[in-house]
Amino acid sequence: MARFNAVDLVLWILRVGVLAVVVVGTIATLIADRYTAAQWFDFVMFGLTIGSIYAQIALGYTMVYGVLRLINFAHGDIVMTGAFAGYFVATPLDRSGFLDAHPVLGMGAILAVAIITSTSIAVLTERIAYRPFRRVVGLAPLICAIGVSFFLEQTFRGMFGSAVKSYPSPSWQRATFAVGGFNVPRVDVLVIGLALVFMGVLYLIVQRTKMGTAMRAVAEDGEAAALMGIDVNKVVVFTFILGGAMAGIAGVFYAFVYKQVYFFMGFTPGIKAFGAAVLGGIGNIPGAMLGGFFLGMVESVGPTLFLDGLGIPAPYQLRDLIAFTLLIMVLIFRPQGLLGERMARKRA
Amino acid sequence: MMRRAVLIGLAFGAGAVHIAIVGVLLMLHQRWIVIDVMTLGQAALFLIAGGAGAMAGRPLTGLVAGAAAAVPVAALAIIMNTVPLQWMFIALSNDLFQMLTLGQGLASGCIILIGGGALAGLLGALWRTAPALLRRAIGPGLIAVTVAGVFQELIQLMLQNYEGPVSDLREFIYTWEGLSPQGALTIFLVVAACSEIFGSIWRRRAARLEVRDHRRERLVWAGLALAALVLLPAVAGSYVGQVLMLVGLYILMGMGLNLEVGLAGLLDLGFVAFFAVGAYSTALMTADSPHALMHLTYWEAMPIAVLLSIGVGVLFGLPVLGVRGDYLAVATMGLGEIVRVIVQSDFAAPLLGGAQGILQIPKPSLGNVLLGNPVALFYLTLVASAVAAFVAWRLENSRLGRAWMALRDDEDVAQALGINLVRSKLLAYGLGAAFAGLAGSIFATMLSSVYPSSFQLLISINVLALIIVGGMGSLPGVVLGSIALIGLPELLREFGEYRYLFYGAVLIVMMRLRPEGLWPSDVRQRELHATDETVALDAGTDALPAQPR
Amino acid sequence: MRNILNILLAAVGVVVIAHAASAATVGPVTDPLGVIRIAKGAPIQIGAYWVLSGADTALGLDEKRGVEIAFKDVGGKVLGHPLKLNAEDDGCNAEGGQTAATKLAANPQTVIVLGPACSSAATPGAPILWQQGIVNICTACTAPALTASTRKPEYDGFARTVFSDSEQGKADATYVHNVIKAGSVVTIHDGSPYAQQLQQVMADNFKKLGGKVLSQEAIAPTDVDMHPLLTRIASEKPDLIYFPVFTAAAAQILRQAKETPGLEKTKLMGGGSLLSAGFIEAAGPSVVGFIIGYPDLSPEAMGKGYPKFVTEYKKDYGEAPISGYHANAYDGAMLAIKAIEKVAKADKDGNLYIGKKALRDAVFAEKFEGISGPIACDQYGECSQFKPSVLEFNSADPKIFGVGTNPKKIWP
Repeated sequence: MARFNAVDLVLWILRVGVLAVVVVGTIATLIADRYTAAQWFDFVMFGLTIGSIYAQIALGYTMVYGVLRLINFAHGDIVMTGAFAGYFVATPLDRSGFLDAHPVLGMGAILAVAIITSTSIAVLTERIAYRPFRRVVGLAPLICAIGVSFFLEQTFRGMFGSAVKSYPSPSWQRATFAVGGFNVPRVDVLVIGLALVFMGVLYLIVQRTKMGTAMRAVAEDGEAAALMGIDVNKVVVFTFILGGAMAGIAGVFYAFVYKQVYFFMGFTPGIKAFGAAVLGGIGNIPGAMLGGFFLGMVESVGPTLFLDGLGIPAPYQLRDLIAFTLLIMVLIFRPQGLLGERMARKRA
Repeated sequence: MMRRAVLIGLAFGAGAVHIAIVGVLLMLHQRWIVIDVMTLGQAALFLIAGGAGAMAGRPLTGLVAGAAAAVPVAALAIIMNTVPLQWMFIALSNDLFQMLTLGQGLASGCIILIGGGALAGLLGALWRTAPALLRRAIGPGLIAVTVAGVFQELIQLMLQNYEGPVSDLREFIYTWEGLSPQGALTIFLVVAACSEIFGSIWRRRAARLEVRDHRRERLVWAGLALAALVLLPAVAGSYVGQVLMLVGLYILMGMGLNLEVGLAGLLDLGFVAFFAVGAYSTALMTADSPHALMHLTYWEAMPIAVLLSIGVGVLFGLPVLGVRGDYLAVATMGLGEIVRVIVQSDFAAPLLGGAQGILQIPKPSLGNVLLGNPVALFYLTLVASAVAAFVAWRLENSRLGRAWMALRDDEDVAQALGINLVRSKLLAYGLGAAFAGLAGSIFATMLSSVYPSSFQLLISINVLALIIVGGMGSLPGVVLGSIALIGLPELLREFGEYRYLFYGAVLIVMMRLRPEGLWPSDVRQRELHATDETVALDAGTDALPAQPR
Repeated sequence: MRNILNILLAAVGVVVIAHAASAATVGPVTDPLGVIRIAKGAPIQIGAYWVLSGADTALGLDEKRGVEIAFKDVGGKVLGHPLKLNAEDDGCNAEGGQTAATKLAANPQTVIVLGPACSSAATPGAPILWQQGIVNICTACTAPALTASTRKPEYDGFARTVFSDSEQGKADATYVHNVIKAGSVVTIHDGSPYAQQLQQVMADNFKKLGGKVLSQEAIAPTDVDMHPLLTRIASEKPDLIYFPVFTAAAAQILRQAKETPGLEKTKLMGGGSLLSAGFIEAAGPSVVGFIIGYPDLSPEAMGKGYPKFVTEYKKDYGEAPISGYHANAYDGAMLAIKAIEKVAKADKDGNLYIGKKALRDAVFAEKFEGISGPIACDQYGECSQFKPSVLEFNSADPKIFGVGTNPKKIWP
């Protein structure tokens, strides 16, 4: 068993090393005292904003993985389809002045079109690309999902071009709130607040409705659920509808905060959001939300808090490094995620 | 019956509309197969309608299906004529409209379109019932003409290297712009006749052979194809050499990942990290630049680079030893991204060059001969691949290889059987990394420079996709997969914009129609067929989700 | 087995020996690097490699159009032979440059090669071409090392009709220090060789002029959330942020900087990679007032032919120039054509012969008044004269993009 001890030693060194960097960096940054309280508050707000979007995307991953044990690699691209659909509604609405005059109605229309588009594409994807693999063990489903991801991205690039398109920025989004002496952009508060509302609705659907219960049953044990008379196909389609709708909403919010739409925009947030789902404990809906917010915070605050004090040049270039290190540390030391996974069987 | 035909036709037609909307159709249309006779785009539309007809079956239903396939395309033309859509769909240009209606105006254009579709559908349906004699001649003839037309630039490049009769032949078949009608006709007749004659001889022989001999035949053919591949660059010149060299690098990486995924079942999406380690360590040891740590020759640096890759592979494997399945894919992807971010960062720039990369990496030399051109480097890659293939082949049948397979099938059982999990897994990572490190080392000297942007996640995905398309756990599969996924897109560079569109489509179709890959390993094929039988047995619970292994 | 091995070795030998440029006498021409024979009526094939796919397509396409107009201006023919442009896509990266250059070099009829747009593609590409004795006239790659006095002999066949980044960075630093009178700057790059180099040169020169570089930050080109970075920069209170990065990331920085408390008075400046209608589209209303440093393209500073060129461009492609290197590309093509005209010799049957070494020397010796200014190569292949300018965007409507109108020249 000596070898196992050697492995443990390495893991301990890793654990201590990462912890030491974080602690030393944090203390050094705080001692240097370069940032005001308002700036720290801003860092947190930015983190929560991007985190709320990660959280919504992560929900789609976590539900599909819970039910199908499939990493829906194309989920990030479904987010992109929603953002594009929203763009083609938002631009004419903005040009005609409607979006400025009727913010609620305008946003409603944009969200509706985005949700319809992303949901239909999600369901179509499931029908064409994933359903045939329901009983296939191994890598084929994952590869097929990668294929779907490429196909969606490139189809949208071919249709709408590779240039970056820009979401409108109506005046009511540009105002700022004053919260306890700090200024907060209104669009951030809006996005975080609405994201929480939508996620709450989703949670209720999964917990309280019949379909949601069936979904949880399939996630727990597919065979037993089928024997109990649950129509597994219906449940899967329902899962994709929920995930697709959340993706559509996330796409529109993402585009309203960051303004840019282009064919590749879903890829990186998609991967990060999957990380967030794992972080929170896969299959676990509150876990995915927590994971998303946590990842967003770490990405926003981390480079400054951990690395600035160590004198590392250009810390924001290492943002992904921090995110992925966090993910790997969680996978190694707490593979069930922060809140624990909700799947009865041992992982694949 | 008719309803089915119409539905098939509409589905194919939807496919045609898709390629029109994303811009592929117009791009194909700009490429002649035969100058002034037929473009690739027209051929594609014809093929789609013909495919619908062939699928529908009988001549009459084929006719209907073909016409139905043309209907969505005609509808697209009508919509384009009435509503301006180009502000949204950039590919719906006037050129596309002209192409769809053959420049005849809307009404007659649509009639021609549907008529042509019906004709194509009829031909497609007839094709299925046509006598074998005819099919054997016409099929290869048409394929040969298409290949000669589509790859005209490449073939002309090759032929230009020679004078005399070859040059005369080229001038007879090709103009500077493409395949001439008389050339196309000649090629068609020659190939059709050849395939007819040789085909019948071949079949007569094949009828006499035993089943076991068939396998031998297959091996002989594969050997011949391989030999042709080996000699091709020497005959065809440096461009083909360059493309085959890239294919070779991916074969190397594919064989490495095959050890990890195909044999040991460790899904690794961070494979590019080892490739980067090989490339950067070679650069740091040989380059004539301020970043160089020492000045070794390539032959001294390469083994060290490979050893370093093994070391990194083991280090990489250590923390993720306990992570399994899909989680492992995510963890390794994270590790791969971490390596890329570090290589690119300003933080590591004093050592690794950061965004500017490392330049002035010398080419290797053999004795007095500098391996400076792609063809020479191709042979270097080839030798490396051959050595690697031998190693991989021996590993597969070794004690370690069997341990890996046991690990892949069930980790717990493997451990219970006394297999040392830690050792086997780390060896899988280390040895897999060695292959990628070797590929990276050759890559660095091929480019004479390394840039961090060369080590994207996409490379890991490409390698994974190619071993799966080729056939998991199968060495010939890796070769086939590289040729199909790396070589072909390189040769069709001008369609480069749509490379990943086709790529995605190929992955989906491949996984649906032939999940075991183009050339599956025997073990794997048996396994899959065994699964088929189980599926057939419990077809009653068909709608169940996949259960984890 | 033995036999196969022998054949293989022989093949390797043949290939290795056969593939370098070597002295030859063909027809009336003798040349130490070889001679290209163009049969009567056959086209003169001019190779090119640019980025023609992906996000930076406008950059390469603009140059391709410049070359096409140049071909048209000489009537599509040189010495009675039609001109044929074989343009390859290099994807703006090293692997793409390598493959494209290999393909062009493999064509024995390639007389000369234009392009690429990206220095990372030129770095592996140019030596491959020169190994076959083919001259490469680059039309937009601006890395200083390519024409530095320390460059290796394998770059002897490389010349460019575009200025070096070291000039641009110096000009930007001078402008920021002397005209804007900024005392402190922060630079941002995106990990691309172009941006990293340009901001480094700018920062070095700015320090030399007595300014203060507070920090040199970096991002990934796909980053969208710049708020934390900008908040961090705001804590340093710079007078100017210099970020010569590419479209998507630059638009995010520009937009989000306007929303960041503490950066209200900070000036923002970008680089030539942002000179496109796509950038205006991506950045939206925040683009107004944004400045970029760029060589002077105004008619006064350019050669006399430039206005006519722009008219022709608009007529042929239905839009104003879509990026910033069309004039350099036009001049590159003209340089190639003039050199070919000087060197090529015809025999009595109408076949044309071009000596490769002679062509290289002719390119380096050529002097003429181009549309981007006077063209004359120094011994390291730098052929253009650099005239700095600063352009300012004044409208957020991508439809009225035009170099000289939006963005408009504000200096000198």
